[in-house]
Amino acid sequence: MEPFVFFGGKGGVGKTTVSCAYALRCARDGERTLVVSTDPAHSVTDVFDQQFDDSPQPVGGVDGLDAMEIDPEDEVTRHLDEIRQDLSEQVSASMVNEINRQLEMAHGTPGAYESALFDRFVDVMRNSDPYDRVVFDTSPTGSTLRLLGLPDLLEGWIDRLMHKRRTSIDLFEKAAVGNNEPRRVMEGDPVLARLQGRKEFFEFAGSALHDDAAFFLVLNPDELSLNETERAIANLQEKDLAVRGLVANKLTPSPDPDEDGRGARYLRERVETETERLETIRSEFEPPLVAEIGWRSSEVKGDLLADVADELDIETTAEPPTHV
Amino acid sequence: MDLADRIETFRETLDEWLRGLYHGMITHPSYEKIEKEAEDAEDAFILACFPDAFGIPSPVSYYTAELLPYLEDEFESWERRLWDRGTYLERKGQQYHF
Repeated sequence: MEPFVFFGGKGGVGKTTVSCAYALRCARDGERTLVVSTDPAHSVTDVFDQQFDDSPQPVGGVDGLDAMEIDPEDEVTRHLDEIRQDLSEQVSASMVNEINRQLEMAHGTPGAYESALFDRFVDVMRNSDPYDRVVFDTSPTGSTLRLLGLPDLLEGWIDRLMHKRRTSIDLFEKAAVGNNEPRRVMEGDPVLARLQGRKEFFEFAGSALHDDAAFFLVLNPDELSLNETERAIANLQEKDLAVRGLVANKLTPSPDPDEDGRGARYLRERVETETERLETIRSEFEPPLVAEIGWRSSEVKGDLLADVADELDIETTAEPPTHV
Repeated sequence: MDLADRIETFRETLDEWLRGLYHGMITHPSYEKIEKEAEDAEDAFILACFPDAFGIPSPVSYYTAELLPYLEDEFESWERRLWDRGTYLERKGQQYHF
């Protein structure tokens, strides 16, 4: 199966648990695995009871499993600092303030977090050499879907920008009649070079997501989660990214048949509605249901995580990525 | 000064005048026109890069911000041109000398 695996879904359905369990399973099957959390509410730390940061660190007690957590806020700051560094090298002191204002504005726009996150995870995919499999634990559906839609949108945008830049440089070159030095020259224009670099980055992202990534949606057996999953499947399909499977999490355990207390009756009713919903999923949703995970009474970590891993019916052998 | 010298001086003067006339009537206006057009195209480029300067949020300004260190001259003249510009028509009109 594809080397990059994304788990998405509504908030609170247990994406982190499922992705960690899957990563654990991959690692146990001998694939060198990295699990990446892009959710600002970091919970990979809680699952493995270990502190992670934005560089891969081995998970204690599991061979061949690394984990990292990406904090969009840190990424935005880092990006800002990098540009400031360039700025101080290139730009005269009097202009720095002027440009700085513009720079801060650009990093305060609503899309900045998403762009930062996107940058980072594409970067992880690009430098995934040491791993056979990278598992992405994404943030809740909405923002992730927008994230995955970025490459196409941005490629087009960059194309138009490059066209505009070329037009203006071309005119400047033409304006330099006779022996005049043109104000801008096409050859070695740093702006065009930067834009070209960005364009290649988005192209890589687009093709990697398209050819080397598999998507799974985690859902709970309730109406809201089902509706959101349906929308997410449609959305992903629109972007030409197919969902490989659905994972139903937090299923209610059924009581023993001889029990007939209030709790038992409640559970029995819930199990009944959930069975109906699972039936709906099986018959109406296109992607197959690859796992049904029961509700655990305590936090899923350690041995419990291994149990959950056993319940996941997702292939673990990783193919090497086609675009690097 | 004999005739040959006088003809020579006259030719030189004429040459200078013609060159000046050609530059003033043909080369310079066209140079100016193309350069103005180039500036307009550049303005459009920068506006497309940083629409948030006008309060229009742009999904790409996070990325185009990377260009800022290389756009020092452009950025400065862009701002200056925007301050100067009364109307778009006025700017276009400047290119014609009646």
